[in-house]
Order: sequence, then structure tokens, then C-alpha cells
Amino acid sequence: MTAMNVPVQDGAADASLTGDSYRQAARSWLRANLPEDFRGDSAAFTPPKLDQSIAWEAALHRAGLAGITWPSIYGGHGRTLREHLIANQEIGALPIPESVNSIGKELAGPIILAIGTEAQKLRFLPRILDMSNIWCQGFSEPEAGSDLAGLRTRAVREGDVWRINGQKIWTSGAYRAQRCLLLARTGPVEDRHRGLALFAVPLDAVGVRVRTIKSIDGRESFCEVFFDNVEVSQDDALGAPDEGWSAAIRVLAIERATNRMYRAWRFENEVRHLIAAAKTDPVLSGLLQQQHHAAKLAETIVDIDVLKAHVETAVDALVAGETIGARGSLAKLHWSEAHQRFAALAMELLSKASLPLQPAVRIALRRFEGIYLQSRAETIYAGTTEIQLGIIADRILELSRGK
Amino acid sequence: MTITDDGLTPADFAATASRAVAACAGLSVSEQGARLVGDGLLGVIAGDNVGGLDLPLSFAVPVVAAASAGLLAFPLMENILLARLLQQRQARIASAIVAGDNSATIAWTGAVSAKKQGDRVILDGWVARAPRASDVGLMLVRVGATGAALVPISAVTLEDSHGIDLTQPEHTVQLNAVSVSADHLLADGTWPALESDALVLRAAAILGSAEACLALAQEHVSTRRQFGRALSYNQAIRHTLARHKLGLEGIRQSIARALFFSSGLRERRAAFLAASSYGVAISEGAVQMHGGMGFTWDVPVHRHVRRIRALQAQGDASGVLAALGHDTIADVSPAHPQTAA
Repeated sequence: MTAMNVPVQDGAADASLTGDSYRQAARSWLRANLPEDFRGDSAAFTPPKLDQSIAWEAALHRAGLAGITWPSIYGGHGRTLREHLIANQEIGALPIPESVNSIGKELAGPIILAIGTEAQKLRFLPRILDMSNIWCQGFSEPEAGSDLAGLRTRAVREGDVWRINGQKIWTSGAYRAQRCLLLARTGPVEDRHRGLALFAVPLDAVGVRVRTIKSIDGRESFCEVFFDNVEVSQDDALGAPDEGWSAAIRVLAIERATNRMYRAWRFENEVRHLIAAAKTDPVLSGLLQQQHHAAKLAETIVDIDVLKAHVETAVDALVAGETIGARGSLAKLHWSEAHQRFAALAMELLSKASLPLQPAVRIALRRFEGIYLQSRAETIYAGTTEIQLGIIADRILELSRGK
Repeated sequence: MTITDDGLTPADFAATASRAVAACAGLSVSEQGARLVGDGLLGVIAGDNVGGLDLPLSFAVPVVAAASAGLLAFPLMENILLARLLQQRQARIASAIVAGDNSATIAWTGAVSAKKQGDRVILDGWVARAPRASDVGLMLVRVGATGAALVPISAVTLEDSHGIDLTQPEHTVQLNAVSVSADHLLADGTWPALESDALVLRAAAILGSAEACLALAQEHVSTRRQFGRALSYNQAIRHTLARHKLGLEGIRQSIARALFFSSGLRERRAAFLAASSYGVAISEGAVQMHGGMGFTWDVPVHRHVRRIRALQAQGDASGVLAALGHDTIADVSPAHPQTAA
């Protein structure tokens, strides 16, 4: 069975299900509908094509497992954040490929919900969930990576349209996206954070050019996006020019704590896959019995439990009505570094496999080589490790600048 | 979060415990025990049949953390655990602990053999890492793999205190044909249950010390000036302390998670192991942050380093780590030829 002909069962989307029954429904649906060739731990795995990913993610949404907390009027399921956590725990427990529209679901969508007009919410949000609109994130620029206040892409208002000129980089998935969440400057560069505005730019607009960049894992998902006199309707401006950025920052703080909430549970799925594969190999199964590797795997389990604790604490805080603020940096920093440590451990262990390679070891090697290479980006994107450390020092510890 | 019928939360006990621990400054170990009785801290999780408050384990967490942060000499964690452990079969002793009329410690490592002779039990062997054994009346020792026995300190041979911890020096103890009443021999399975609760409270103790260390380091780098600026101007300092804060919150939240999964051994081990590794990094890092002053006797950071290292050893961190690893590995089946997990 492939994702293109996923039979969507009823059950998980039943709005009356809560708590454990919702978990059971989600689990049953995922196990019944996840295509074998989507599973990263399967011999049948093949990287899904874009149309397969779109079909799968649309099916996930129809089953009640995406857009979980968004209001139903915008295509969401109107569920609680705790149910969002439950669904993510179940999604994480399986080796499912990453979403091709996480920017839409976890960044653009929440920002539109926070600052978009009613018309924008009705126009954009259902299309994110039914996967007819994939989004990318146009924040970083060649001269403004972490320091977004220094960005130079300009948006100039001319009546009912904005004219945009500039260049974005490290824009994951722009080649396949229909919309770009663009951060552009409406005033002079000297204004820093003032005068930054957000736009929902259609990527088929005249003057948009996308060029892919090959990344260290050999994929060409990274992009540069060039904007040459691109006209964007006022209808696609998100929030007021000065309001857009500050509101987006508030949303980003929450997102840093809650996005890809499944990560801890996926991380655990990876550990279990590594052990399962190693157990099929006479040399590796012997190594697993040794104190050194048992201790190293236990350190990974501790890292995972700490990450779960960070995520669950963030959910508790949000449910209690607290602001997350800079605390989102804790989970991001911990996860990204812990995942790199584990990926290196997996590579080291698998390198000792006996010859000829067991089939399960081949599958694991393919998966963990990919994870290892992709993990190098995890301490860079969504704010580098160094930026996160700075945020914790400045805004949580409030350390004096010492003058 | 745990909330009692009276609306009490564990956090409500944090301030009380901090005040009680502060009031213990300058008192002898036995005087400290008596002082803690007044706030009900010794019986925080013991049943009301022995005069305890009968609260869940989560209420002991802030109490033990405050004791460690305040470098309390009295072995509070051991007495809190024993008051509850003994509340059924040794209610009289448990009541005495809760009331401050007697106090006890636990020898966390080693085990003895037990032979029944009529209504007596003869205990033989060596145990160690018994905090403040010379200042209390009773000691719990492990018997065999999972049993335990309560012995009067007067019946055993204590070696002079040793160990790295100045706050609660540890004793190695010889039991040479020590005869105790048969009802002092506790059932098989007693020890693992005690150790399970101790994983959480040890993590809490480390949290208290680590929090104190981070506060001391933060204060120092914010006030100490070099090259015309406070030390905290330097990115190396800022980033190091940010990592310590990350570790500290990791400990705190892991403990909360272990309490939520009330009987989960994995979560309890993870909390203790997170506390163990982050606690060491934070406390040793605080010494480093203080520079030469950190290496002096007068700056209290070294007392916390010592305390955390002692707690790490009492809980056999490396053994717990290996056990967690082996249990995790054993829980996973070999990959099927077609699917690997």
C-alpha cells in the first residue's frame, strides 16, 4: 500500500473521543494506515515523492491528527493542547518521514491565527491543512542569519500593493512551496526591529526565482529565493508593518517550545530501531551486552526523558495560561545536542557490524547515516546553539552585561 | 502537580523547609532533628498512624532539596524514608522518628547475611555509606539482595567517619554477629522499594545543591570585576552558566516527570541520572566560575560538590546507568527481516 491510496478510516477524527480513547484511536489509525514504504525502519522504505507526502499528510489531517488545536471554522479539529501532545506522542512512536509542510502547520499557521485578518484565516488555514498550500519560511538572508534585525529585503507600499526586492537564503523546501512567510523591511536598515513586516507571498508571483542548494546530506531541499520587483497584494500582508514582527516573536517563542512535539518520542523510536537492528548481528548484539554500550544507550534514554520532561512541562505551562517566553530555548538546545550525540553513537555502533551486513543492519545504516547528517543542521536551524545559549543567559538568567 | 484535599501543594512546603533548615544553623545534629519536628518535616510522607502528614512523595521533594541547599547536617532524607517504611511493621519506631525521639540512617551500600535463631536474627557483614551514623540511634542495612534489617547503632562497630562529604560524613560499619529481634528483619522486596523512592529524593537533594551552586556562581560572576567589567560580560561565562541553567531545569523537570509516572522505575532512574550528571557539571562548574576563590575552603561551593559526589555514590549512579541500559536493550526484540523495530 502506498500513501496515494491510503484508505482513511473513521474513528480518530471523532470529536467525542478524549484522553486515552483519543490516543487509542490515533494509534489504531496510524498503525492501520501508515504505508510500509514510508517506514524508515523497513526494507520497503523509499523516500516518499512529493505527491505521496501530500496525500499522506492530507489523510493525517482528515483523521484528526493535524491541525489538532486549530478552530474547526478554519479546518482544524478544535482539540486541546494536551490532545495535540497525545497525537504527537503516537506519531513520534513510528518512523514516519518529516512533514513537507511543517512551516505551514507550525509557523505560518499559528502566526496567521495570531495576527491574520478573518479573511486571511479563512483563506490560508484550511489550505495548509488539506495540503493544497505548502509554505516555506523566508526569514534568513545572506547578511542576516541569526541577526534578523539586520535583514535588507525591502517592501515598499504602492497603493494597494507592496513591491518586494531582496534575497532570502536557507529557505527549506521553497522549490515545492506555494507560499512564503516573508519577513521584509518597510523602513531603513537603521530601524533594526522596527518596520519589519510579514507577508504571505505567492511563490508563483512574477519576479520570484528559486534556486536549490545541495546540503551535506546530498539533498536539494535548501533554497535561495530571489524577489525582483515582486508585487504582493495588501491582502497578503500579515498584521500591521510594525505589529507583524513583535507578534511573530511571541508566536515563535511558543513554537520553539511546542513545534515538532513528537521529537522526543521519535528519538525513542530511533533508539529502539538501533537496538533491534543490532540484535540481528552477532558482533553488535555482543557489544550491546557490554557495559560501555549499555551505559551509552542509557545516557540517550536519560536525554530522551529530560526532553520529554521539557515538552510536557511546556504543555502544562501553556495549559495553565503561563507564557513560555525564553524557556522554549531549553528544549530546543537540549534536543538538538542530544540528538547529535545519539546519531554519532548509532554510527559508531553500526560501524562495527559483522560482514556480510545483515539486512536489518543495512536498513539501520541507511536510516542513521541520514539522521547523522541531518542532525548537523539541528544545532543551526531555528536559532543556533550559540543564539539559544545567549537567550538563556540574557532572558532567563538575566546575567548582567557587566558594564 | 499534586494537590491535597486541603489545597496544599509541594511548593507550599518549599518555603517552610527553607525556613526550618535556616533555623538549624549552628545546632548539633540531634538539635537539628528536634527543630525539624516542629514543622512536621520528618513525617511528611509517613502515615497519620505514626503522627505523619501522610502526603505523597512529591511533598518530600522540596523538603529534601531545601535541606541540601542549606547544607543540613541531619540525615533528613533517610529519616523521611524510614518513617514511612516502618509505619506498619515498626510503628513505634516510626512514631519515634516522626516525633524526634529517635533518629536513624541508612547504610546505602554493602549487605549483610541474616540467620534466624529462635526469635532473634544474627547479622554479619560490612555495609557502608551510612550518613551521620555516629549521630543517630538506628541504622537500616540491606540483607541479601532485597531484604533489610534495622539495627541499633550501639550494637555495631562504626569506623571513623570518612568520605568526601563534610555535611553528612559517611561511616563504614561492621556487623559482627549482631543479634536483633526477628521483627527487625524486614521483608524481601523492602530494599528495592526503598531504593526506588530514594532515586527521586536523591535527585531532589542534588537539585537543591545544584541550585545553590548556580546561584552562587551567578552572584559571583555578576559582582566580580576584571578588566574593568563584571565577569558576566564574557560570552564564555554567559554560555557556561546558560548550560548550567539548562541542566538545572532538566533535573527539576525530570523529577516532576518521575513523580507523575508514580511507579515508573525508568523515569525515576532517569531523574536520578540526570541529577547526577548535571549536578556534578553545575557544582564543579561553579568552582571553576569562582576561579581561585572556588578552590578555597571558605567559598561553600566545595561543600556542594562533595555532597553531590556523595549522593551520586550512595545511589550507585554508574550501576543505575548500566541497569537502565541493559533493561532498555532487553525490552527490544530483534528486528524482523522486513521491519527493523
